[in-house]
Amino acid sequence: MSKKTRVQMFLLDNLIWLIVIGFFLLNAIITPHFATYNNIVNIFYHSSIMSMLILGQGLILIIGRLDLSIESTLAFAPGVAMLLVTQWLPGGAGPVSAIILTLAVGALVGLFNGYCIGKIGVNPFLQTLSMLIMLRGLVLFLVPFSIFPLHDVYTYAGKARIFGNIPVAIPITIAIFIIFHFVIQYTPFGRFFMATGGNPKASFISGINTTRIVMYAFMLSGLLAAVAGLLYAGRQGSVNNSMGDGMVLLAFAGAILGGASLEGGKGTPMGMLGGGILLGMISNSLNLLGVGVTLVYATKGALIFVAIVLDRIKVKLRNHLMQKEQLEKILHQSKGDGESFSPSS
Amino acid sequence: MWEKKGKIVLGLYGISKVYPGTVALHDVNLEIEKGVVHGIIGKNGAGKTTLVGIIAGIISPTKGEIVIEDRHYTHLSCIKARQENISIVPQEPQLMLDLSVAENLFIPNYHLASKGRRIHWDEMYIKAENILKQAGLGLNSRAQAGELSISDRQLVLVVKACYVEQARIIILDEVSASLTQKDEKLLYRIIEERKREGKTILFISHRTDELLEICDRVTVLRDGRSVTTVSCDTLNMEKLSSLIVGEEFRFQRICNEIAACDQREKETVLEVQNLTKLGAFQNISFTLKDKEVLGIAGLRGSGRTEIFRSIMGIEPLDEGLIKLKGKKVRFASPADALKKGLAFLPEDRESEGIISSLSVRENLVLSALKKITRIFCIHKQTEKDMITHLIHSLDIKISSAEQEVSQLSGGNKQKVVVGRIVANQPRVYILDEPTRGIDIAAKESVLKIIREQLSQTGGIILTSPGLEDLLLVCDRILVLYRGRLVAEMRRENFSETTLFNAVQGGTEPNQVAGVASN
Repeated sequence: MSKKTRVQMFLLDNLIWLIVIGFFLLNAIITPHFATYNNIVNIFYHSSIMSMLILGQGLILIIGRLDLSIESTLAFAPGVAMLLVTQWLPGGAGPVSAIILTLAVGALVGLFNGYCIGKIGVNPFLQTLSMLIMLRGLVLFLVPFSIFPLHDVYTYAGKARIFGNIPVAIPITIAIFIIFHFVIQYTPFGRFFMATGGNPKASFISGINTTRIVMYAFMLSGLLAAVAGLLYAGRQGSVNNSMGDGMVLLAFAGAILGGASLEGGKGTPMGMLGGGILLGMISNSLNLLGVGVTLVYATKGALIFVAIVLDRIKVKLRNHLMQKEQLEKILHQSKGDGESFSPSS
Repeated sequence: MWEKKGKIVLGLYGISKVYPGTVALHDVNLEIEKGVVHGIIGKNGAGKTTLVGIIAGIISPTKGEIVIEDRHYTHLSCIKARQENISIVPQEPQLMLDLSVAENLFIPNYHLASKGRRIHWDEMYIKAENILKQAGLGLNSRAQAGELSISDRQLVLVVKACYVEQARIIILDEVSASLTQKDEKLLYRIIEERKREGKTILFISHRTDELLEICDRVTVLRDGRSVTTVSCDTLNMEKLSSLIVGEEFRFQRICNEIAACDQREKETVLEVQNLTKLGAFQNISFTLKDKEVLGIAGLRGSGRTEIFRSIMGIEPLDEGLIKLKGKKVRFASPADALKKGLAFLPEDRESEGIISSLSVRENLVLSALKKITRIFCIHKQTEKDMITHLIHSLDIKISSAEQEVSQLSGGNKQKVVVGRIVANQPRVYILDEPTRGIDIAAKESVLKIIREQLSQTGGIILTSPGLEDLLLVCDRILVLYRGRLVAEMRRENFSETTLFNAVQGGTEPNQVAGVASN
């Protein structure tokens, strides 16, 4: 492979970070107060919740499925956990148990999705659509009014700030991304994820327990949705029934911008982090520029469109590059052979 | 080579088609005269299907020019080809299985059987009935296409191209491969009749006898190049065969190296008894010795693939016993089978073998990740050593291990899948058509790997699309006919004709008894 093609391929594979950098530089010039320390911290802080959802969605996209229910899980997990510790459990429980319960509820919801999809064979779209509606309905029923105040320990992840006035949510998010990046790239478990998404039949035949991988993926996505819920509840200091409403489609957009593909088998957690940051920067700059709330929503819609088109263009460009490379190699070869062609031997 | 007589209806000039990893066609020239049955012949992977795909507008060429009468094209689309009155009957019959035979015939040309915009169903059925009668097919036009046999489905498509679409140029892509002998005769009659009406027919096949019988002229493709076009009167079978192969048949070399060896001394690794899956196979019993190469010969649909899939635990068995080194086993999934030392190479490489979005490296080590993992992580150096060894020993041609598998040629893709199996060091290899759809050099190399490397480490069961491959590498061949084992042959008394007859179902009953007592 020539050096030029290799560079082009590298840029295509890391397209999202190029866009992030480009968008940042553009806004640093045209948007007032954009490139300030406080605002940058602010962008990261506000992207953290969405990034968790994007990572969850991204893991599911890697195995070639999709999960609509994460935004409801985001509200359901902290809602049920708070009700358990404050009302349902006899004697109540501490804030640490509340955190563990939140995560457990999220993971269980995901596991249930994974079981139905992997073992029973329910279509993932229909399964998670029903969960999306059902869990939101349950949250509306169970948490008619906001639950507050929350314990300081419970809100620590979402609200507290450490050295340099940095919200704790930022290091937590980055740590989670690093862990997942490592797992996906360097462990057999991660390889199984990529393989299952790339070709489930071939993976099954080559000895991967694809059912179990599907269940794990959905469980992890539920768990990450619960982490997002924890950050959300912590930031606003309460649990209410509209948390996460409408976030799932943006999570799709972010994951696809970050290199995942609806066909599965593609994407890395680090790319998805880029997708999350880009979404955060777009909201932030539109706010700073004084664009109205309704128009912000339309812009986000346009963004989903761009994400999908970008995915296609990227695949096409990549194939085109490969084909060109091949053609050059072949032309080069037949030049060497001269006029007489001998069958490959 | 031949003198131009008639008018050229179709000319291809300098056509090339490059796929990632392979050159399917290289500078192919072809001229086809009006009213002629023109044969195209070549080995597997010679580019026959790509060439007709280009004519039918399914594939667009990388380079070259297509001339239809006086109109010049750089590429055709399916719609353009249809407007030019070109019809193609593809290799695998593709009907809409839920629709009736009549509707399949008229789709999408409903206007042929309708008044105004409304479809007249009754009229369509009557018309279809007449057309089928004219062609000599005794099919009910109201029958569902899904209920027809493969052979009948193929004929329906031929009838559609010849009688309904009234195409000027009809392309028949290895149509006879899925026909029964009786239907073959019918096909030849239809071709003869169309020719008399002045239609041009492009007939693709890899059977020399058939081509010589029905074609006026033959173009030979070899390694994606048009070698020559000759008139059939000047040809005989041997001459045509040597044109197709182009050089001495190289497999002879492998063959000579194998001495018939005594199987009795070796230990039995796999034994199956009375395997039954209703509707697929019945009472299959055989044993596999260590370091033995056992071939299973049978027609498409005779149950080969199903037996393999059932042993591996991909599809459930209805009945039967599987013994691995004397121990009774039953696998719940391929993962389970793999753990106990059985490896499976699936027949369909593209959809069940390779994982095309991953790199060569990731594909190769996929089944053997446990061996290279240290404390939850993949050990980079061990992984590297493993793939270097595999690439070297299987002679996989790649530019780097990080290359995506989708870019490789068919033969190299197959070697990657073989490599994945080898990496796990199984005791039993179950290979379903390892030589399917790969070019002759790759085929030779894969067969060599099977014979010289795999058979040193375990027992092998394999099937093949062509009997000659089995005759070359196997120690023993079992013949499967309609889901039953009907004959067994040992290396000492291999004979192509007996094997061919047995595969077609023409065996004496006493040979069956021979297998049962074995």
